[in-house]
Amino acid sequence: MPAADTIVALSTPAGESAIALIRLSGPDCADLGQAISGRSQPLRKRFAHFAKYLDIKGDLLDECLITYFTEGQSFTGESMLEVAPHGNPLIVQKILADLMARGCRAAEPGEFTRTAFLNGRMDLSQAEAVSDLIRARSDRSLQVAQRQLHGSVGRKMSELTERLLSVMAHLEAYIDFPEEDLPGEDQAGPASELRQLISEMQDLIETQRYSALLHEGIKTLIIGEPNVGKSSLINALTGADRSIVSDIPGTTRDYISAFMMVGPWRIEILDTAGLHEAGDAIEKIGIEHTIEQAETADFFLLVLDAATPSPTLPSSLLSRMTPINAIIIENKTDLPAAQSHADFLPDLRHVPMSLLQRKGLAELRDAWLQSIDASLSQPQNDGVVVNARHAASLGKAVDALELASSKLKDGELSELIAADLRDAVEHIGQVVGRVDNERMLDSLFKQFCIGK
Amino acid sequence: MSGGLKFGKHQPYDVIVCGAGHAGCEAALAASRLGADTLMLTGNLDTVAQMSCNPAIGGQAKGHMVREIDALGGEMAINTDTTAIQFRLLNASKGPAVQAPRAQCDKKAYQFRMKHVLELQARLDLFQAMVQGLIYEGDRVVGVRTNLDVEFYAKTVIVTTGTFLRGLMHVGKNQNKGGRMGDFSAEGLSGSFLEAGIELERLKTGTPARILGSSIDFELLEEQKGDPEPTLFAFYDTRGIENVFHVEHSGQESSESNHALFHVEHSGQRKLGWLPGRDQVSCWMTYTGAETRQVVTDNLHQSPMYSGQIEGTGPRYCPSIEDKFVRFADKERHMLFLEPEGRNTNEWYINGLSTSLPFEVQLDMLRSIDGLKNVHMLRPAYAVEYDFAPPTQLFPTLESKKVENLFFAGQINGTSGYEEAAGQGLIAGVNAVQKLRGGEPLVLKRHEAYLGVLIDDLVTKGTKEPYRMFSSRAEHRLLFNHPSAELRLVDAIERLQLVGNERVTRIKEKASKVLEWTDRLENERREGESYALHLRRSHSQADFPDALQAESKEVRDEVHYRVVFKGYLEREQKQIEKLKHIDKIKLPEGFDFSAVKGLRSESTQKLIAIMPRTLGQASRISGVNPADISILMVHLEARLGLKAP
Repeated sequence: MPAADTIVALSTPAGESAIALIRLSGPDCADLGQAISGRSQPLRKRFAHFAKYLDIKGDLLDECLITYFTEGQSFTGESMLEVAPHGNPLIVQKILADLMARGCRAAEPGEFTRTAFLNGRMDLSQAEAVSDLIRARSDRSLQVAQRQLHGSVGRKMSELTERLLSVMAHLEAYIDFPEEDLPGEDQAGPASELRQLISEMQDLIETQRYSALLHEGIKTLIIGEPNVGKSSLINALTGADRSIVSDIPGTTRDYISAFMMVGPWRIEILDTAGLHEAGDAIEKIGIEHTIEQAETADFFLLVLDAATPSPTLPSSLLSRMTPINAIIIENKTDLPAAQSHADFLPDLRHVPMSLLQRKGLAELRDAWLQSIDASLSQPQNDGVVVNARHAASLGKAVDALELASSKLKDGELSELIAADLRDAVEHIGQVVGRVDNERMLDSLFKQFCIGK
Repeated sequence: MSGGLKFGKHQPYDVIVCGAGHAGCEAALAASRLGADTLMLTGNLDTVAQMSCNPAIGGQAKGHMVREIDALGGEMAINTDTTAIQFRLLNASKGPAVQAPRAQCDKKAYQFRMKHVLELQARLDLFQAMVQGLIYEGDRVVGVRTNLDVEFYAKTVIVTTGTFLRGLMHVGKNQNKGGRMGDFSAEGLSGSFLEAGIELERLKTGTPARILGSSIDFELLEEQKGDPEPTLFAFYDTRGIENVFHVEHSGQESSESNHALFHVEHSGQRKLGWLPGRDQVSCWMTYTGAETRQVVTDNLHQSPMYSGQIEGTGPRYCPSIEDKFVRFADKERHMLFLEPEGRNTNEWYINGLSTSLPFEVQLDMLRSIDGLKNVHMLRPAYAVEYDFAPPTQLFPTLESKKVENLFFAGQINGTSGYEEAAGQGLIAGVNAVQKLRGGEPLVLKRHEAYLGVLIDDLVTKGTKEPYRMFSSRAEHRLLFNHPSAELRLVDAIERLQLVGNERVTRIKEKASKVLEWTDRLENERREGESYALHLRRSHSQADFPDALQAESKEVRDEVHYRVVFKGYLEREQKQIEKLKHIDKIKLPEGFDFSAVKGLRSESTQKLIAIMPRTLGQASRISGVNPADISILMVHLEARLGLKAP
């Protein structure tokens, strides 16, 4: 096996910083460490050496920290060097150029991680980063994902695959066995099954939203008129003074975000500027931003002041709120003038609350949890959830199936429809693993009596 | 024939072919036509190129392969054309890619002509003797031992023994040794394989009864005629001199000479056959009758398939009548075709009635069929079990991984069908010659030909049942319209000189005309739009420019297909480009899969067993999943510096 290259890359972001970190991996690291630091002896392993960096001509480039790692005791498993010069882009460039002049090769994106994997420093099945990297590097979108497939996804996918193969078998039987005594070539059956499959696969893709919500959090917007207690609410919920609370309306001019949990759910909570006819230009921009944010929000907490009349809110906001994605909080029930807003958006759930007296918080959490559970359990396939990569492959499969479906409708040649179906199977294969044509044939010979 | 039979250690042949079936014939012809000194051994010279089962060549995917065989210089296509008694183009209502020629053949005429072609072939010796064992030197084969105690030596040996290895035939409880009724079985050769570490397994197949035509009541049956305009298998537009009958007889009415001997070679020697498409005969359709099911189900216990007497696995696509009634209990009746076995015989084949039920039950069953009430059976149906050597033990050249210079082709590799056998025979013949000359072997890609799919499937996946080609096995079948076989394979044809120079020139001319016109129709305009756009709506060759109208039908049809289906064909090409990448990444010989970290142990075992030569081949092994391939890819790139070009 030929000696591998020694690779080098800047590990910190490009640009000015206090210090930068340049990493090297490969067989020459020990020699290089000695050479660039101008030492007569090898560097001590795992020790930060303060050194003057001397380039190949012997000129001083910078003062830096150099750490040497021996083979088998480094991130990549090879011997490594970490050089930390000052974060001046010019110096960094000079050092990189010097290392390449000394025979190093610029690392490809992700090569350190890849080397680590190859040296057994990492288990591929656990290393999502590596699998991403491999996918990025191979044209065939090679999927490691199937190992991570949850059993339920696997089952659902194999059910869909079987049904798709059955549709294919239906077409293929008439292509490959034109002389058999088959029932009349029926395109209505495959057409309707295909529609059904498309719809179920779309539902499955939809579950990716759930998966994203799990990882990224449910984006929840707190909205309401100025000074109804929005910021107090976020502080009460997160237990921290994240928002500036005052009784001056319009204190929150931009959104402030925080994370919290409701039951098992991760919530990203966003405080917004108060909604009213804005006093100044900055407030107006804030309100526009709020409306913009609402476009992508998953959940709304609309805060009302129990002691003042129901507000008039922009219809663009109101139209986004439904009983499963919004809760109305009637705050300040402690005030003498407090009265019910039950008639305001009566379809939505109302929770009376006094943030001042910290009353109603538990009720809010209960109502909130119920709403999330209700909204997220709706489109699910028996709790099956796909991740973003699965969803992307399924999306491509659905596209191919749509093509097939429209060709079926137009009565086009069945071998062309079959080509689209094959495409779809290929994409599904990226989720569940290659689907061999044998499985289609199995389905065919089960459905049709072939053998004249 | 060459100067005379050579035997003994000091007169080795270049190639010995064991067997003279469809694989053996093509293997022997390919090797000798490439200039190799070749010996063909068969246990019975009277059964050369015998059609042991139905009297037909071609059909879906199979017909495509026959055209590929013709493109590669094989004999099957022209032998079929000149001895066929009925031609039909299947799937005529579907697109060009899945239309397939099929022909009923005169079995005897087919055999006689093929045998005569072998006799006329330069550098090819024929000899009747049964091979009983192979002679090894170390891990190489150097010759064969025959039942006459005569030994023949050769640099390479091709085994094409079909169903004859320890063949065992079943008719009910009755058992007879043999690979085909009326013939023997090869008992010794299996031991020779086992001795070399070549594994053998059992398969099963079957054939229906033959009956006397004069006992069939045709009044009750539905006639199936041939196409008035036959679709032929061989490429007469490029074949030249061998195509002489086209010139001589075109436009002429039938004459006596057309019936028998039409072909005059410049050497003065004659080959049998007749003008293709003349005097076609009909097949007849019938159905199992009301009592057939009862007869079958009442006697299931007597069927060796159901009693456990047969161990081999039969094909899913060719079930016995027992299987049909059991597995498709809802189906009231099963369609059967009555096919004539030749012009000069009144023996008929019953397509669809394969069985291994006892003789008397078969008679009852036959008599229950519409039109066969008074049937006279000539030969009973039977099942046959035989040894095959799982083809995953072969390289893609069809050479054994265990024994150097030993090649396998045909049914011994677990396939079924004359066309599958012939295709392998041709490839094995070519590769045996390339091996002894140190030349680049002929390994067709999956996107080039059905023959490429066939051999890749065999050596990569193996088979659990007699393997038959289906068009669905070919990922890129849209590219495999049967008339394009020569165009797809032109590089291999030219490189290996599989056909004469004149034919190569004509194929290349055809190819460049097709390319030129496909391009011109995209760019040249009529009435404000390109010809191509117009054509994609009208699908009519009447809209071709005049200059294209003047080209041959072969050129016009291919241009038409490529223009009308351009979008689909381009999509296929794109997918192929994507796949080419991993097919180009070679795995070094003797690559140590067990040293690759991260592979699942199941995959490692399969990879070690198959020893794929490219990453693409590895990816097609069942049980090896994309994650394994990505690991291999990373490993190869990083460790060995191997990158796809």
